[in-house]
Amino acid sequence: MNLSEFFKKIISGVISLGKGMRVTFYYLVHPKTVVTQQYPENRNDLKIFDRFRIRLTMVHDEHGFHKCTACTFCEQACPNGSIRVYSQKGKTSNKTELNSLIWKMDRCTFCNACVIVCPFSVLKMTTEFENSVFDRRLLAVNLTRYSGPTSQVLMKVADTEERRKLIEPRGVYDGEVYLKIKK
Amino acid sequence: MMTTLTLVQKIQESLAHDLWVSVGLLLLGLLCLGAFVAGLGLVLVYVERKVAAHFQCRLGPMRVGWHGVLQTVADGIKLLLKEDIVPLQADKMLHVLAPFLCFLATLLAIVMIPFSPIVQLADCNICILYISAVSGLGILGILLGGWSSNNKWSLLGAMRAGAQMISYEISATLAALVIVMFSGSLRLSQIVLSQHSGWWIWRAPGVGLIAFLIFLIASIAEINRTPFDLPEGESEITGGFHTEYSGLRFAFFFLSEFINMFVVSAIGVTLFFGGWMPFHIGNWQAFNNIMDVLPALFWFLVKTGTLIFFIMWFRWTFPRLRVDQLMRLEWKVLLPIGFVNLFLASFMILGRLYFFPI
Repeated sequence: MNLSEFFKKIISGVISLGKGMRVTFYYLVHPKTVVTQQYPENRNDLKIFDRFRIRLTMVHDEHGFHKCTACTFCEQACPNGSIRVYSQKGKTSNKTELNSLIWKMDRCTFCNACVIVCPFSVLKMTTEFENSVFDRRLLAVNLTRYSGPTSQVLMKVADTEERRKLIEPRGVYDGEVYLKIKK
Repeated sequence: MMTTLTLVQKIQESLAHDLWVSVGLLLLGLLCLGAFVAGLGLVLVYVERKVAAHFQCRLGPMRVGWHGVLQTVADGIKLLLKEDIVPLQADKMLHVLAPFLCFLATLLAIVMIPFSPIVQLADCNICILYISAVSGLGILGILLGGWSSNNKWSLLGAMRAGAQMISYEISATLAALVIVMFSGSLRLSQIVLSQHSGWWIWRAPGVGLIAFLIFLIASIAEINRTPFDLPEGESEITGGFHTEYSGLRFAFFFLSEFINMFVVSAIGVTLFFGGWMPFHIGNWQAFNNIMDVLPALFWFLVKTGTLIFFIMWFRWTFPRLRVDQLMRLEWKVLLPIGFVNLFLASFMILGRLYFFPI
């Protein structure tokens, strides 16, 4: 290594160190670059990013109906079996319809596979993240609000009274959730 | 030329006629030193955490007190109350002794620093020699700590510390020697006074700046801060020499590391930036008079604080070096440049080629 190369190396090294120092100094003097959120204090104006995935929900329209046909694609796509689709035969028709859709949050990896695979975009990840509970059993929930046919089938029935006969309301902890399973 | 009595000289004087006055002065000095070191440690840790956070787009401590100002106090109390674990296979006496040895070296160095013309605990005619000798004691503390822990990580860290610090000691001393030659004294207060007409960093053209850069790099390596924190190397050897330390003993290692940063900056300021001398510009009489109004202690702390900020800036920007890179930097880059610099400086002094020769 000759002498000019020696000094060239030193100078290029110093320049690259200077570049790094400029970047960090920019962060220091620009407080707007801070990404930390003071969580409990800013709870009211908390900004949550759209791609944040926490709670799986089922999309229900303004009448409270969903488009799920109980095709079990989501159940098959789930890598660790945290979704289970329970279907039933329809009351009037002989078609398969959704009874309940159980989602076990405690084992979910939030991989989004069920949302991607759903042919009718029924499932959706929401950003509701304050989900702590004191009992683990409360984490297995039923996502559908009723058991019965899809909104398409229901909207063909003009009479609301007739519609009501076709469906049966379902609560959050109805169906095969942990709470119902006896030890 | 000003002559001031340091605390040690006062104690020696009063020892002749009144023993109790000297004992009182000694206790007062120790108390002041202890309070200063503890307060400085708290402030530096807080500043470091805040500065580091903002360098990394974070906020740092925000919960304890206004913007987390009491965070370090809370941490200190936590460390005091923590269980103090000594490993079963450890060499108990050395394990207990090591952190205090490390801390002692720091305290011994801080004694010699001239904070202002009237604040200096002790002064002697071989200050630079004394400080470079005493900082070797700190290495002993780290080596003993790593050795006595009876742990492979600790031993590796300690050995790295030994190799690194002893190598870089040479460059730091060579850089300090340049200023010693220019000012013609090893006494720190004398070095400060010799910079009355200008700080050595610019009065010794080129040579002063190179000496300062070498001193800065070598002393950062000596106090083993990032980018030279191989003895700790959390990602490689799980904390290095202080892997097995907890509670108060760990706090002493931690504190001495931060006080060392202050000591190194203070010595750098004393050698290259005129110590407590105010900032003057040539013949601007009015400007210089305004600068003189500010107290010497203020100037010293501002300069030292700036240098400390730079050291923190380095820490949170640069990645850690590899062991072979570290050794190459010292023996193949810093040392030859340091020697050439020393030669150039001696020619400059002989030929009176620097500004305002005495």
